[in-house]
This record gives sequence, structure tokens and C-alpha cells, in this order.
Amino acid sequence: MPGRTLFEKIWTQHVVAELSGDLSLLAVDRHFLHDLEGGPNFIRLAKLGYRVHDPDLTYAMPDHAIASSPGRTTDTNPTGGRLLREMRRGAFASGIKLFDIGDESQGIVHVAAPEMGLTLPGATVVCPDSHTCTHGAFGALAIAIGSSEVAHVLATQTLRQKKPKMMRIRFEGRRASGVSAKDVILATIGRLGTAVGRGYAVEYAGSLVGELTIEERLTICNLSIELGSKTGIMTPDDTTYQYLAGLPYAPKNALFDQAVAHWRKLSSDDDALFDAEHTIHVPDIAPQITWGTSPQDVIDVSGRIPDPSGEPNADRRKNMEAALKYMGLRPGDAIEGTPIDWVFIGSCTNGRLSDLREAVTALAGRKVAPHVRAWVVAGSEAVKRAAEREGLDRKFLDAGFEWREPGCSMCLGANGDIIAPGERSVSTTNRNFVGRQGPGARTHLASPAMAAAAAVAGHIADVRKLGH
Amino acid sequence: MEKYKRVTGAAAPLMRINIDTEVVIPINRLIGNKRGELGRYCFEAWRYAPDGGENSEFVLNQPRYRAAQILVAGDNFGCGSSREHAVWSLADFGFRCIIAPSFGDIFYWNCFQNGVLPIRLPEDQVKKLAAEIEAADQPLVTVDLETQAITTPSGHKIAFTTDPERRDALLEGLDDIGMTLKLDAQIRAHQRRDHESRPWIYRREETARVARLLILAGDGIGPEILAEVRKVAEWFIAKRQLSVELREELFGISAWKAHGDLMRQQTWDEIVAADAILFGATGSPEYEKIPAAARKVDQLLRMRKELDLFCNLRPVRTLPALGASSSLRPEVIADCDMMIVRELCGGIYFGEPRGREKLNSGGERAVNTCMYTTGEVERIARAAFDLARGRSGRVCSVDKSNVLTETGGLWRDTVQALRDQYYPEIELSHMYVDNCAMQLVRAPKQFDVLVTENLFGDILSDCAAMVAGSLGMLPSASLGPIRPDGGRHALYEPIHGSAPDIAGKGIANPLGAIMSFALCLRFSLGLAQEADRLERAVDAAISHGARTADIAQPGEGVISTKAMGDAVLAELEKMQ
Repeated sequence: MPGRTLFEKIWTQHVVAELSGDLSLLAVDRHFLHDLEGGPNFIRLAKLGYRVHDPDLTYAMPDHAIASSPGRTTDTNPTGGRLLREMRRGAFASGIKLFDIGDESQGIVHVAAPEMGLTLPGATVVCPDSHTCTHGAFGALAIAIGSSEVAHVLATQTLRQKKPKMMRIRFEGRRASGVSAKDVILATIGRLGTAVGRGYAVEYAGSLVGELTIEERLTICNLSIELGSKTGIMTPDDTTYQYLAGLPYAPKNALFDQAVAHWRKLSSDDDALFDAEHTIHVPDIAPQITWGTSPQDVIDVSGRIPDPSGEPNADRRKNMEAALKYMGLRPGDAIEGTPIDWVFIGSCTNGRLSDLREAVTALAGRKVAPHVRAWVVAGSEAVKRAAEREGLDRKFLDAGFEWREPGCSMCLGANGDIIAPGERSVSTTNRNFVGRQGPGARTHLASPAMAAAAAVAGHIADVRKLGH
Repeated sequence: MEKYKRVTGAAAPLMRINIDTEVVIPINRLIGNKRGELGRYCFEAWRYAPDGGENSEFVLNQPRYRAAQILVAGDNFGCGSSREHAVWSLADFGFRCIIAPSFGDIFYWNCFQNGVLPIRLPEDQVKKLAAEIEAADQPLVTVDLETQAITTPSGHKIAFTTDPERRDALLEGLDDIGMTLKLDAQIRAHQRRDHESRPWIYRREETARVARLLILAGDGIGPEILAEVRKVAEWFIAKRQLSVELREELFGISAWKAHGDLMRQQTWDEIVAADAILFGATGSPEYEKIPAAARKVDQLLRMRKELDLFCNLRPVRTLPALGASSSLRPEVIADCDMMIVRELCGGIYFGEPRGREKLNSGGERAVNTCMYTTGEVERIARAAFDLARGRSGRVCSVDKSNVLTETGGLWRDTVQALRDQYYPEIELSHMYVDNCAMQLVRAPKQFDVLVTENLFGDILSDCAAMVAGSLGMLPSASLGPIRPDGGRHALYEPIHGSAPDIAGKGIANPLGAIMSFALCLRFSLGLAQEADRLERAVDAAISHGARTADIAQPGEGVISTKAMGDAVLAELEKMQ
């Protein structure tokens, strides 16, 4: 019998029952709810006459639809306010812990939950958001779920799920200087495409992973869904345990030691079989920037905008043409120097303290170009307060950035934070889809350092040339 | 969900690849638009020009495809965001089936949850089908889930396969949750085993211990109503795995008779050690027979003071079935649901100096002192704001700051400042107590959470009691500050008194005490859903006609205290 993968080990441990049609009934350890799905599902559950099965395994926080403006209140964004009130009522009525606006623990669920120690190795984590894959950075089995599945998890604390195929992506070698975790994963998506992970759970391995901080691992796992996979996962190690030690919701004392002993067994066996394997040669990766309307439309910042006429696949060619038209770009031009209107630093991809530090370092005391509007939206209240303690807010403000309240904000504009049609943004977010940051908005995905460099230059710029 | 058998209708070809969910429905339409109303936003960016006019070139705007129920699409349909609204908007538009070479994973499974059948076919077959539809006079296609066959416009049949369990569920219109809950015993067994090997996953591990509930039945009707509370608590222990230990001590006249002491040390120790006290009532003519020195201290007030039970909660909710027992008109009180938060450890009830003195003129002078500190006001306001967050978010603070400019002014300033600094989302209003008394009987529905000081709260909560119809129905909770270990002292009691005139007759209404136990489940044991279960059982017992004498209308049948407890248990059983 071949060995088992990390994913399979956690999966097996959580199977409550095998159902027909290759489905398994999986026990859910952590269910995270946000404001778009919380209230509506509490209402739906009440209508259907079901109760919450395990209120102590579900945690709720508003992030998608709440305003990001300084001094915000529940109703600063009125529809967000309605959703938040619904979620408060439902959480209160079922005894679910809610991290409300103003609480130190509130934030984007994929930023705040890991910071509190809610996400643990070996746990099954579900959330009605495609970037739930983020939590795999801890060696958790994280699965993005849909709305109906939220009601199902609330009512049963289980998920009906088909076991995906196994893929391993090895990151081998060290990063060149100026290359961030975001660049590594964007380059990977560029090489493998947004469909490669469809139907797979992706384990990230290779020499690079052990060298990454938890924040960097979170960024890489966060973009698993842009490879097409609902699940990205990494083997937990000492970095993981050191990060978790002492966090409010992580186990403490003897229980922590017991947990670590259990977690140390969580890794893929040497002879584990993967259905697909890819290797990414990390030293080749340069700072990345997207040019199109899919995360796979990505090039080195020093590169030129690709020419659809060179694309042999007709479907793909049509998509490239449409993307270039939407983005207002010309094939063959250097992408560097493309003038921009906006910079957005934040999101569950790059809204952590280390991301803000990286951006401030790249700013190096320079000012945002006069025609550029630049926002920083910390991923969580804890990140925001920590950044304020070390004076990062001052540095952003002095440079000409706006310093706003934590949430998803302009990553997807669900709270009304949007970019005007035709305007161009460099964003540290995860999706450059048509209309993602507002109807007609043009998004270029990049790392926090690259976003800061673009803010200063007023156009897409290579952070490595900027100097400190 | 509707049973899914066969769909016959127009099929629309949309042969683009990688149609992502943002194109199916843009994110800005997810908010403020309900399921069932999303059809008009389906493919919005393609269907409409920027000026809002229709884009006549788009396939779904062509007359032959306007009523399409089947969509034939390119590879990787529904990729991108996990939003289920994508399926909803397609279903709301009228699509019952989508045929494509492949689908985004999450989208694919979401389809089955929403009565939309996703069919995977090899790419060449999909392309051929699309071409045939375009060429056909009538783009009519039949999809039969029972036989798993597609009939093309020319009558050609294409076989497809669907996951068997999904197919059965669609065919039977079955709800996933109901199917899974059939396996609930297995789910719970799995959790118990897992708890052994991975205790750190379960938050209850840190708090789970057997909570101590102390029953102090007290005087008058206390013992007979608390007997019913005990029955209910034992039901939750047996049937809902409630982890509590029930203890009982004599209180009041019975304590005096048994121990010669109104509060022996052992009883006091139990009170201090309890996680919650379930209290009956105090008051009896027999106290007159006890030497004055032995009854100098009011033991209930002592508990409030020494346990620092500063936060008194009195929910007032009208039950439709009891509308007639209120002296107010039914339309005035219908659907009233408010929570009075009364400060219980400060104000004029405890302020010093107090006393009576003889005056040289022959008369007397009596003094009571109303006094509040910022801290006292803040902690009760905080309790009210926290409660309001889980309700409508509205708080009305009641004072008399126009006349009592000192205590009233401090009250109003402190409540407002706390709200501005820490609870900006709370909608706070202020009202003078005289106006509030009038508003409570004029238009009680305007109130949700009402917070006020000790004396005003005493008066207003009795006033509000009449909104509910009967004092016999109303519960209360008195909570202490949250200790660093997360626990807090708490005392739960019905708001009615000991009613010595009917004591021992077995006719008192136990529902106020039973509803107080529901509050205990919610506020001391953190079991909001179990509290809700009990409250619904009480509502159901009432709506099925159970009436003790105090809430019966002339001509209605009347049942005993014990029978009322049994009626609640019967409803609890029915809900299991």
C-alpha cells in the first residue's frame, strides 16, 4: 500500500460516513462566517426549522460589506449594516461567537482567524468564501464552500464532499532579492494556468516552503483558488508551532504540547502518491504584474505585454484580445511605465502586518505621485493597531496614502469601495477579473512592494530599480 | 425543493470558455438583492449596454433564446468566485440545466443544491450540440434526468451520467440537511471519539465543567413553582446533555423552621459557589413571628449586594394567545418584544446618608440619597449595548436629567459618551422617565432595549409587565460582573411575589420561573439555542390552550401548577 498524503491523513480522520457517489461526510472543526453569508443563512436555517449543531465550532465576523472609511459605524454602508445586524441577531440567537467591528479580533476572516489561533494544523476549516484555501498554510484542511453548504454545516457540523485528486507543487531554490511570496505564487499561476488545480487539492512542498514565514505561507495558499483548487495545504513545522504558541484560541500548556505531538505526525509520507506533480524553479522568478483579466495573465515586471496573434489556441486568443481591450493595453508594449490612477494595499492575500512593513520599506520615505490615489486597508483590527504601534500608519499617511478601517474593501468592492470605470489600479489583491474592483475598473495584481513602488512612480514600476 | 424529472425548452448556445461567476452575476448585485430576484442581473455585463439598453447581439436577447431553460456553454463554466448567487441568478433567469465540457468545482456542486442540473459532456459533443441548436428552426432540447438522456432539436439522443446520489436527491427534491441529519447519531459518535484524541479542537473543553445550579425556592408559592423548574431542568439534563448539577437549599421561613437561622453559613457558601441561583420568592406573614434581630437583614437584598448583581434583565414579550389578558388593546401590544435593563446595586436604594430624624418642631425629616458614579453607569450601559448588538441595535436610556440634573446629568452624559466611544453602531435615544411611563402604555412597540437606574427600573418594569398581560409570565435575571475566569454570579427569579394567599394550593403559574430558567440557559450556561427551545415550548403550551388561573379568561379551562409544568415538558418532547 502506498503512503498517504498530508491531505489524505487529515481527510481520513474526519470522515464520519461514506456516502454514495464518491461523497464523504466530513466532520467540520472550524466554520468561519462572514457578513455576506452569515445573516442570510441564519435566516434560512430558521425558516427550514433547523438549529445550529455546534455553535462553539463556528465563528462569525463582518468583513465583506462593512465600510472601510475612518470612523465607520454599522450603517456607514447601509446594506452592509443590514447584513451585519442580521448576522448579530443570528449569532446571538444561536450562541455563536461574533467578532464585531471595533473588536480587536475583527478583520477579514482569512486574516483575523489565523491571527487568533483559530486555524489549527490538522483541522478541517470551511468558510463560504473562495479564499478559504488560505488556512492551509497551517496544515489545516481548508475547503471553500457555497451558500447552501453553510446552512448544511450550521445544521450538521459536517460537509458532503468528494475527495479531490492530489497535486503537489514543489518550490525549489531560493528567491532572488526583491521577490515576495506573492510573486512566487503569481508566477506559478502564470506558468500552470488557472485551471490546473481544478478537482485537485494542492500541497505546496519543496525547499522554499520551510523558509517561509506563516504570513508568506498564507499568501501562497490564499491564491490556490486562482490555480483552480479549493484547497492548498502545507506541512506544519516549527515555524507553525512557534506562531501558534500563546495565541488566544490556540491550545495552551499541556494541551498545546499534546497538540504539537499530534501535529508532528501530519506530513505526506515519502512514498505518498500524487496524481499530478509540478516543480517551480524559484530562482527564475522576478517581481510579477498581471496584464489581463485573469490571474494567469501575468508577466515579469520587466516584460512586454503579450501579443494574441502569437497564440495558437483560438479560444485563448479571443480571451487575450478581449482582456487587452478591457485593460486598455497594447500588445508588445513594456508594461513598466503604464500610468496608473490607484493603488490598493490590503485584502486576505496581502493585508497582514508583514505586507504593510514590506510596502513601507519600498516607499522609503517617498511620496505618492500626485495623480495617484492610494489606500491602505489593514486585513484586521489587530494588524491595524500593531501597525499604528510601530508607526507604519504615519509613514503611509505622510507618503499620501489613506489609512482606513479593516475589511475586504476594494479587493471586490462589495462595500461600495470601488474604482471608477476605465481607471487603472495596482492592487495587492487576488483577482483581476472584469469588474472585480468596480464596473470597468482595470486591475493589475502585484506584491505590496510593487504596489508601493507603483504609487510612488505613478506608473507600473520595478521595485528593484527604485532603490531605498 | 421541487422534484426534478425532465426539462423541455429552448437551449441557448453560449460557447465562450472560462465564463466566470463575476460575469454570471457581478459582485455589486449580490448585496441588497434576494434569491428569486437575481434573474435580471444574470450576465448583466453582456446583456445590457452601459446606458442600460439591451445589447441586441447577445444570445439571450435574441427572441428565440429569451425563454431559454437550457444553457450550452464552453469549457470551465462557472469558474472564479464561489458565490452561489451565480447559480441563483441562472435559476432565477429560468435555466434548469447547463451543459458544458467542464465546470468550476464549487459552481458545479452548487447547481445540485439549487435544482439546476449541470451536465458534463465531451467538448466535441457540446460543440456539435451548440451548432445544431443554432442551425435548428426551433432550438428545442429535452433533458431527462430519469433516463439521463438529452434529446437534440433533430431528435438525436445524447446519453449523460450524473453522480447517483445527486441524481436521486434531485429526482426526489430532497434537502441535503435532512439527509445528513439521518446520520446524526454517527456525527455525534464521531465527535465524541475525536474529542478524546484531539481535545484542543473543541472550545467547550476549556469551559466545559459541570455548572452548579442552586435552587432556593423560598416562601409562599416558591416551592411549588420551583418544583416545576426542577422538572424542566432535569429534562434538559436527561434529553439535551445539559451539564449541570442541581443543588437545593432552604430559604426564608422554611430555613428558619429547619435551622433556626434565615441564612446559615452552609447556605451562604452554596450561594457564593453557585454558577447560578434559581430563586422562587420571598415574603410571608410568618416573618412577623421571627425575632426582629434575626430578620434585620433582607437576605435577597444581601445576595444582590454581596454578589454585586448589578445588572437586572427583564424581558417583556407578548404572546398572541394571551393578548386578551392585558388591560391594553391587543393592537397596541401585539408583537411587543423588549428588554428592560435595570441597574440594581446603586441609586437611591443604597445611597447614604439615609434615615429619619425627629425635628424640634415635632415633625420628622426623612432622607434618602440618590447617588451614582461613572463606573456604575458605564457597566450597566455596557450591558445594555452588548445586549442590543444581538437584537435590533436600538437602546433607549431613561433618566430625569431635566430635574435631577446631577445624577440624571451624569447618567445621560456617561451613557452617551460610552456609546460614542465604543458603540458607534448603536442607535441610542434618551427619554425622561415620566414620558417613558406614558410611552410604555401608549406605544410599547417603540422600545427594544431600555436601560435605566434602579428606582426608575423598578417602577417601569412593573408598568411594562402589564404589556405582557400577567405578572405570572415574566422572568428576570440579575447578573454580576464577569470575573476574569469568565464566570459571573447570577440569580434568576420570576418577577411575581410569593403570593401567600394561594400558596400550597397548586394553582400558581410556574411559567415565570420556567422562563427564568430559560434566561439561565442563555446568560449563565451560554446555551442560547436551548433557551430558545424552552421559550418556544412555553409559547407552544400557551398557544395549545394551557392556562393557569391567573392567565385564564372567563370560561377557559384552568389547569394546575403541575399540569402546566407537564404541558411544557410535553411540548419539549414534541420538539425532540
